[in-house]
Parts: sequence; structure tokens; C-alpha cells
Amino acid sequence: MWAINLRIFGVVLGTLALYTLIANKIPQMQSEVPRALALGANVTPEQLVSAGDQLYHGAGGCTACHGLGTRAPNLLTDEKGQGPIGARCGKRESGKDCKAYIYESLTSPGTFVVTGYEPIMPDLSRTLSPQQLWALVAFLESQGGTVDVTASDVPAASAASSGAAGAGGAARIANGSTDPMEIIRAAGCLGCHKVGTEGGAIGPDLNHVGSRLSSSLIRESILAPDAKIARGYEKFKGIMPKTLGDQLSAAQLESLVRFLASHK
Amino acid sequence: MTEHLLLQAVADTTGAYRDFPFIGSRAAVWIAAELHLMFAAFVLGVPMFAVVAEAIGIFGKDQRYDRLSKEFTRLLLIAYSATAIWGAVLVFLLSTLYPRFWAYLTAIFGTSMWVYVSIFFFESFTLYLYYYGWDRWKYGRAKLVHWGLGILLNVWGTTVMFIADGWLTYMMTPPRDITPSTSVASIKFWEAFMNHTWMPINIHRLIGNVVFGGAIVGAYASYRFLAAKTDEERAHYDWMGYVGNFIAISALIVLPFAGYWLGREIYQYDQSMGITMMGGFMSWLWVIQAFLIAVLFLAGNYYLWVGMGRIPGAERFRPYTKWLLAVLVIGAIVWGTPHTMIADSRELAAMGGSHHPFLGVLGVMSAKNTAVNLMILATFLSFLMYRRANIRPVVPWAQSGTRIQGAMFIVAAVVVLFYGIRGYFVEAIVRIGYSVYQVGAVLACIVFVTIIDVLMARGAQSLGAIQWGKMPARSQYALFILAVTFTWLMGLMGFARSGIRQHWHVWQVMPDTSQYAATPALGYASIMISTCVLIFLALVGFIFWLGGLAEKSTFVPAASTVEAPHVGH
Repeated sequence: MWAINLRIFGVVLGTLALYTLIANKIPQMQSEVPRALALGANVTPEQLVSAGDQLYHGAGGCTACHGLGTRAPNLLTDEKGQGPIGARCGKRESGKDCKAYIYESLTSPGTFVVTGYEPIMPDLSRTLSPQQLWALVAFLESQGGTVDVTASDVPAASAASSGAAGAGGAARIANGSTDPMEIIRAAGCLGCHKVGTEGGAIGPDLNHVGSRLSSSLIRESILAPDAKIARGYEKFKGIMPKTLGDQLSAAQLESLVRFLASHK
Repeated sequence: MTEHLLLQAVADTTGAYRDFPFIGSRAAVWIAAELHLMFAAFVLGVPMFAVVAEAIGIFGKDQRYDRLSKEFTRLLLIAYSATAIWGAVLVFLLSTLYPRFWAYLTAIFGTSMWVYVSIFFFESFTLYLYYYGWDRWKYGRAKLVHWGLGILLNVWGTTVMFIADGWLTYMMTPPRDITPSTSVASIKFWEAFMNHTWMPINIHRLIGNVVFGGAIVGAYASYRFLAAKTDEERAHYDWMGYVGNFIAISALIVLPFAGYWLGREIYQYDQSMGITMMGGFMSWLWVIQAFLIAVLFLAGNYYLWVGMGRIPGAERFRPYTKWLLAVLVIGAIVWGTPHTMIADSRELAAMGGSHHPFLGVLGVMSAKNTAVNLMILATFLSFLMYRRANIRPVVPWAQSGTRIQGAMFIVAAVVVLFYGIRGYFVEAIVRIGYSVYQVGAVLACIVFVTIIDVLMARGAQSLGAIQWGKMPARSQYALFILAVTFTWLMGLMGFARSGIRQHWHVWQVMPDTSQYAATPALGYASIMISTCVLIFLALVGFIFWLGGLAEKSTFVPAASTVEAPHVGH
């Protein structure tokens, strides 16, 4: 009887292992969450293009159709000899310049459908913020054309900037919570730094930061991030926001410093 | 990344989420929901064929089916408690880990939740009456009343499922006029409840439950077969395993059509959701699904072919099995061919374009629909050979009848191939319509060939009784593979259905702003699915063992010399 049980157990485990193995061997794609954009009033076209690029190739989901050449027109490469989207967007609809055409395509896609394609494009204003939409417009314009999206097009740009810089921004992060992980998530640290298993790899990994930096150096890195740059990350100087001193309360800052210093 | 740092939209997360220790909230809810659904599928599927088996027992005056039905129901009784327990775990986890989302759902569907619980209460007691009254209400009119209880049990179960489907389909396809700013108080219950995908999910789950129930019963029977101490017991469980497999595979043949309807409704509701499902980050999922279904077809057919070894007269059909195997293998390969996958520029360059120069032709719907329809025809032919193995029709029109059956197979295959090839030369919108002709030809073939076969089998000469129990052990392991694969497939499709909402609790109405908002890749999902399947099968094994402690099996004692008939005779 034990032999039968073992054999059945082996068949079940073997089948499960096979399916799990195959599913792990194929390309792994995770559906990311579109992140809110915090654009300053002095946002440059280059910054908009960069943000749009990330959206286009990531959470925006654009590549599911555009680029395959079957469901929707290619945008980044030539389409029927007319060049990429930035080169052809101004000639699509009479009376509409490139910027207006692309914005309309994103927010009212049924208005003009390119001949030969089905009207399958969703209205992205349901899922993306105005800032994200304008970042996408800028990115698409940059594909063979000239970017003419400016900060004045982006409705909330100036509001975001003033809010962060003023006293009103204090303690808004994580609603004043002193839970360090809540602060880290709410302040967007994970966009660049890794903490635990979460986060990106643009900035230094913070998992063992306590063994490299003292508490006072950690505090200085939060308040004045450009004062000292970790070796190997020199080219990213200026990227980390310098506004955390205004946005965090003293209790939040100290909680964060203690938390990071304990990561040895 | 510059000062326009991308920030997670977490502004409103305070109080909306709590975390679960060690495995996190998402994994905790995932496991609870999946296990609840697996048990629920079993306890909803089994009563359907328990009632059918009891009816065959009553009206066909065959006690064997009555005993089989009772044994099905005994399995049901204990599994029912597990369903309720996992349902309670799911509710507690949702209400404590996702309190804001749970409050939102209850604000819209609160009344239906009370109705749900009430019906669950009635369902429980109907089940107890049905099972414990089996021997008391065994004869005459009382037996019919007992059978009516079985029907009532199905009505309660189906209603409960339909109610829960309203909640989950609302999360996928809420009415289009509901937006993030819509006040919950202004949402009309019936509009939210009977949303776009409600009925397609109902039908898909209804059929899926039968498939699942049949597969689990088949696995149970195979275990009892392997553990049997006497030939009689072995014969009984061999027969039970055959019935379970027959039910599972028969319902499986219809399931893709229900799935097609559901997919079409998703596309009609929101193209981007459909594209995410079929061509977006989930596109590789369908390659895995094709592999799993290939395993199901191959294991199901293999079981039948091995089973023909215990049927006198089956030798004359054996030479055909290698051709059926070839059709199934080639069909599975075509079905599993990827088409428009998300690929980066390097992968596109390596492939030589957005599609593979040769395989891209096989990855399109024309080829896939052709492949799956031919696989269904091949499987149906296997069943037909199994049915016909030990009989020789004696009706005067037997020869013509067989020729007509053969012609129907050929016509169906030609229709499937013709529209499959023609599909390459027409617009997409025309091509989609062709699948209806292909499916219609296959279904018509199945229906008319079966009718002819049933009529032809009347008074047929027997070539010898089926030697139930004389089945090699390897065939029983095929039933286990079927059960594991069905369960895994159910977990995979659950991930697909839930995952296409991506970072939304309610699609484009209520965003998921928790740390688990990103929809994980298939590798992580497969580990979760395998974990759930393992827990489920371990619990089912334990429950069946408990059932065995409480009561002896219902196999037919040696006194009966009646040959166990084929299902459908």
C-alpha cells in the first residue's frame, strides 16, 4: 500500500513540477502599475520624453499592439514608407498638428482610425493621468519629429512643484506615518533603491546601508543627497530629490534613519 | 530617472490595506480563494452527475448506477464542509486585509450576500437529506422524491454560484457608466450584478465544474482501484473511473466553446482588456494552456486505448489508434505554437520579424481552430471505437449506418480543413466567422453519429462482456495525471481571469494601490498554482480517507452477474 501511495505522490509531484518548470522557463512578464508622475513646473521636454518612454515600454501597455505590425500601426519604426510616428503625425489629419493629433489619438481614439486597422485602441484618459498622457505625447513626438510639449501643456505640473516645496508638503508623505516602510514606499524611494525584496537598481541597494554608513551620514544623504555620492553612482548625481527635508516630519526622518542604520 | 521621479500612487492607502505575515496579503487571499473555488467546483459538479446517475438507476432499473450515485454523494458530503471552511477563510482575509475594497463590494452587493448565505443554508440541509435519506427513501414514489432532492440540491448550488459570479464579474466588467467618482449609493444592484461577463462566466463554470468533478471522481476511483483487495472491488472502481473520465472528457469537449463566448464578451466589453489577455503580458499563458490541454487529450485518449485491452473484439480497432495519436500530437503542436508574442528588439531581430518565418503561419487562429477541432473529432472517434468494441450491430442497415457515420467524420474534417485554409486568405472579421462553421460541423458530427450509433446498438450481438478490473495499473496513473492537470488548468485560468484586471480591484473604477498591485509574471503564478493544487489534493486525499473510515465502499457484490454497461447505452 505504501508503494502505491508513494507512486501516486510521485506522479502528482512530478506533474506539478513539470508544469511549474515550463511556466518558469518561458519569458517572464509582470504587469506593472502605472506610477503617478510628479513633474516640476520647470519640467523639460527631455524629462517628459524619458517618462513617456518608460510608460510606452512598460505600464502603458502600448507594445502589446504597436510594433507588432498586425493589430495597430508601428509607431517607433517606419510605417508604409512614412517614417516613425513623430515624422508622420502632423500629416495625418488636416488642421491638426502633431501634438494635437497624438493627444487626440490617446484620449479619443475613435475620432480618426488609420485605414486598414480596427478601432481597438482604448481611451487612455481612463487609465492614465494628464501628466502621463503628455509624457507619452512627448515621447511619440520624439520618434522622428520635434518635441513641442512644454510644462505649460501639463496641467498639474506647477501645482505639484509648489506643493512639494512649501510647508504644505510637510508630513504629507504617508500621511505622517512613522512606519519606515510606509515612508519609503510613499516617498518613491523604491523607484531607485532596493529595500528587502522590493525596489529598483538605479540607486545604491539599501539592504546593508547600515554597515556602510553611520546614522549621521544616512541622515545627510536623505537631506542633501548630492553632498556625497556613493562610488559607482556618480553619473546619477542630481537625480535624488532634495525636497525630503521639507516633506518629512522630524519624527519621520528619525524613524527612517534608525530603520536604515539598523540594516547592517 | 530625473527629478520627475516616478512615484507610486499611494496617497489614499491609509487604512485600505493590511499585510499578512510571511507570505503577504496577495498570496494569502490567492490561496484561500483558489482552494475555496476548487472545493466549490467539486461540490457543484458532482451533484450534477450524481443526479443523472441516480436517474439512470431509477429509470433504467440498474442498481449499479444508484450505488455509484450514492458513492459520489458521500464524497460530496465531506468536501462540502471544506468548501464552507475555505469560503469563511476567504471572507475573513478579504475583510481584514483589504477592508476598503471589501466595504466597497458589500455596499453594492450586501443584500445578495445575505441571500447567498440563506441559500447556502438550504443547500446544506438538502444535501444532508439527500445523502442520509438514501436508504430510507429507496423505493417507489419516495425514491422519486429523493431524486427530486438531488435536483433541488443542484438548483441551490447553481444559484449560489450565479450569485458569487455576479460579484467577481463586476470586478472584471463593471457597467461602463460607473467611474471612480461614481457614488456607491448610486450604483444600481441589478445593473452591477448582471454585467457583461456574468452569464458567460456562469456557463463556463457550470461546464467546468462537471469536468472537474468527473476528473476528481476518476482519481478517487483509480486510487480505490489500485488499493482494491478483491477482483470485485477492482471491477467496480475500474468502472467508476471510466465513468468519471467519460464525464470529464465529454464536458471538456464543450468547454472551449463556452470559453470562446467568454473571450468574445471580454473583447466586446473592452478591447484593451482582451488584448492584454491574448496578446499582452499574458500571451505566453495560452501556450502553457495549450500544453495542458494537449496533456488532457492525450491522457484521456490513452486511458481509453489501454481500456480497450479489456474489451473482447477491440483488437479490430487497435491499428487505428496510432493515426489518432498522430492527429492529437500534431494538433497539440499547432495549438501550442506562439503567434504575436511581446518581444524586444533583439528577440524580433533573432526571429527575423514580428513572427517566426515558418511557425508564425501555424500560430494564427485559422491553424489553431483547425487543430483543436480535429483533436476533438479524434477524441470522439476514440470514444466511438470504445463503445463499439464488444458489439456487432445486427440491424439490417448496420453497414450503411457505419458508412454514413464514416462519411460524417470525413465531411466534418473537410469542413474544418477547408475553412481553416480559407481563413488565411480573408479579412480577420470574416475569418472569425469561419470558426462558427468549423465548430458547427464538429458538433453536428458528434450529435448525428451518436444518434446513429445508439440506434445501431439496439439488439447488437455481444462479442463478450467487458472484463472490468482487468486494467493495467498504468492506466490509473493516467487518471491521476488528468485530475492534477484539470486542477492546475483551473488555477491557471483563474489567474488569467483575475489577472487581466491588472492593477484594478474593479476594472477602471477602483485601483489597487497596495504593494501587491502589480500582476505577477507566470513563473510566480505557477508556483502559487502548484502550491494550491498540492494543498487541495492533500486535503481531498485526507477527506476521502476520512470517508473510507466512516463507511464501507459501495462496490457491487459478486451476486450480481449483470454486465456493467457503457455510459450512453
